[in-house]
Amino acid sequence: MDPVSDPAARARSRLTLKSRARHADLQRHTIAFGRELRQRELLSTSSEIVDALRVMENVDLADRRDVYLGTRAVFMSKPEDQPIFDEVFNNFWRRIAHIDEVDDPNADDEMTSQGEDASDLQEGGEGQQQLRLTSAEGDGGEGDEEGDEEALPLYSPVEMLASKDFSRFQAEEMTEIARAVLVIAKRLATKESRRFRISRKGSQIDARRTMRRNMKYGGTIIELARKRKKIRKPRLVVICDVSRSMDTYSRFLLQFIHAMQNTIGKVESFVFSTSLTRVTEYFKNEDILEALDRIAREVHDWSGGTRIGQSLTTFNQVWAKKLLNRHTIVVILSDGLDTGDAEILRTAMEDLQEHAGKVVWLNPLLGSKDYRPLARGMSTALEHVDVFAPAHNLASLADLSKHLTA
Amino acid sequence: MIEGIRRIQDMMERQSYVTDRAIATTTFLASELRKPVLIEGQAGVGKTEIAKVLATALDTELIRLQCYEGLDVNTALYEWNYPKQMLRIKMEEGRDISVEEQETHIFSDDFLLKRPLLRAISAKDKSPVLLIDEVDRADEEFEAFLLEILSDFQVTIPELGTIKTDHRPYVVLTSNRTRELSDALKRRCMYLWIDYPDFAKELRIITTKIPNINERLARQVAAFMQAIRLVKLNKTPGVAETLDWAMSMMALHQEHLDAETVRETLGSFIKDRDDVAKLRGKPVDILVGSMNGQEEEDLNEWIQSVTQRLEREVASR
Repeated sequence: MDPVSDPAARARSRLTLKSRARHADLQRHTIAFGRELRQRELLSTSSEIVDALRVMENVDLADRRDVYLGTRAVFMSKPEDQPIFDEVFNNFWRRIAHIDEVDDPNADDEMTSQGEDASDLQEGGEGQQQLRLTSAEGDGGEGDEEGDEEALPLYSPVEMLASKDFSRFQAEEMTEIARAVLVIAKRLATKESRRFRISRKGSQIDARRTMRRNMKYGGTIIELARKRKKIRKPRLVVICDVSRSMDTYSRFLLQFIHAMQNTIGKVESFVFSTSLTRVTEYFKNEDILEALDRIAREVHDWSGGTRIGQSLTTFNQVWAKKLLNRHTIVVILSDGLDTGDAEILRTAMEDLQEHAGKVVWLNPLLGSKDYRPLARGMSTALEHVDVFAPAHNLASLADLSKHLTA
Repeated sequence: MIEGIRRIQDMMERQSYVTDRAIATTTFLASELRKPVLIEGQAGVGKTEIAKVLATALDTELIRLQCYEGLDVNTALYEWNYPKQMLRIKMEEGRDISVEEQETHIFSDDFLLKRPLLRAISAKDKSPVLLIDEVDRADEEFEAFLLEILSDFQVTIPELGTIKTDHRPYVVLTSNRTRELSDALKRRCMYLWIDYPDFAKELRIITTKIPNINERLARQVAAFMQAIRLVKLNKTPGVAETLDWAMSMMALHQEHLDAETVRETLGSFIKDRDDVAKLRGKPVDILVGSMNGQEEEDLNEWIQSVTQRLEREVASR
């Protein structure tokens, strides 16, 4: 039949043309959609976008629910992502539908520039400045005593820095301290595991390799291959006080936490002053300064008051079940100057000790000779602490390794 | 909804697995796109069940790898059968066989113990379903190794050479979220979060799994569980607990809930001593008391209000 005179065929070919254009649109939109999700910190890279496009080929595009559920399965990677995904999904496709109607050719560009503006606005907030102020305060004062510290005959940069109180460090020394902290953090990572690695002096026999090695003796076991337990890195939960009274220390302690997280691996970190914030994600970034800036920006009560009890209660309620077991060591970094209810703190500490393998409390004030843990919060908490130790300089942090076996 | 998704949903329902659109869509796409699916959710929401149902639906073998801390490659992939190798060597001691010959022989397929991952890769007839259960309990090193397997579906055994898959398995990973999995692994997978079921779904699960249950009892059990999950407990009961409890009520020939029986059977679905102590007294009365005489239409309202009362009660103690 003549295709031109057949209205059905004409309609079909028009349809294919139209759907091809649709497909190009779909691709463009999906890429933009993925980009927007990435800006909202969902796992979205080119491979997810490719997957999302493959999803689109496999579902009914007219069925919004299919598209929603399908793309959600691609872009979501934890339950917390869902509200963000829902919001972006709704706004994005509504916007697209609207744009398509008015047929705006610059739809995509407009969208991305909007997104970028929004994130620009978020940057450089007040928090950032706050943190800078914090370190500036730490820099000032007590310069006269510094000479004594440096005059000591020490042979490695680590040791030179080791005994110096954090409150006396200059900003330029940050990189050095970072290196020192890394050395210490690596030293911490030395716990035995149930898993084995090959070793000549190991205590256990490695059957697979023994067999292999003794083939040459016709299977009579003459040489034994041995293995020994692998070093297991301890699982740590670090909770750091960033309230005002900790200002001189918190920046260094956070840096220490960052280094631990990047060397030890299984570290979950939190900060608190009046409420608790999980910061593990922030520290996944290799750059410590960036991470600190972000924390200062987003932890809204940075340098505020202290409510240890409430913060630990939140931890117990929200995180304990997920993070604590008998292999977990909880390290609390705080001066224990609590303005909250001592009873709440006691209950929280009780709970914490019950569910964790070990509770270590590091107190920077313990470094000064005339400090006694008499503050109400501190003395309450002490009843439920396995280890109470100072944390005012690198040497004291290095000592931490003694306590890190659950 | 396209045909494929409906088909999966039907297949699941036929095996009395009560499902929803999200589960069906993700499962369908994972099998279509040939990607592993990572299922996360609280204990007892039926994560593992999905793999089992999928295997039955596809009429294929289910191979399960249960993860735990310290799980290593030998246990997950393969191991040589040493005792058998030893025996063989001893048996052939007098015979004149060169070491090389001997070696080729005892390092052959016959002496290989295939562990779940290798079994899944080397399946003969059709793609099996590989269930990697509670992957969050395995170490990070193992996760990295898993990633390698999941991208190539091939393994190299030094003595045997490389084994490639002919029938790429459908992979289901489950996690209770005791730790975050690596981004790399998450990116390899389709993601599905399963929450506790809502009232309608839970009721449907009860009536599907226990077909001869009395309607009123089923509704009350479902409502009770909805309310109790909103109370802060050490161990929130899952769907398995709901079913256990409903069964025990059936065994006791209960046609509806009464406070005394609930108290007696509390242990069959609340599995933490402190939680039982917390709920045993007044809370059970509040729940059961307000439930009887409660009409079905405003169940949601009931759940809301009773939870508030429970919270107050529990907090005041």
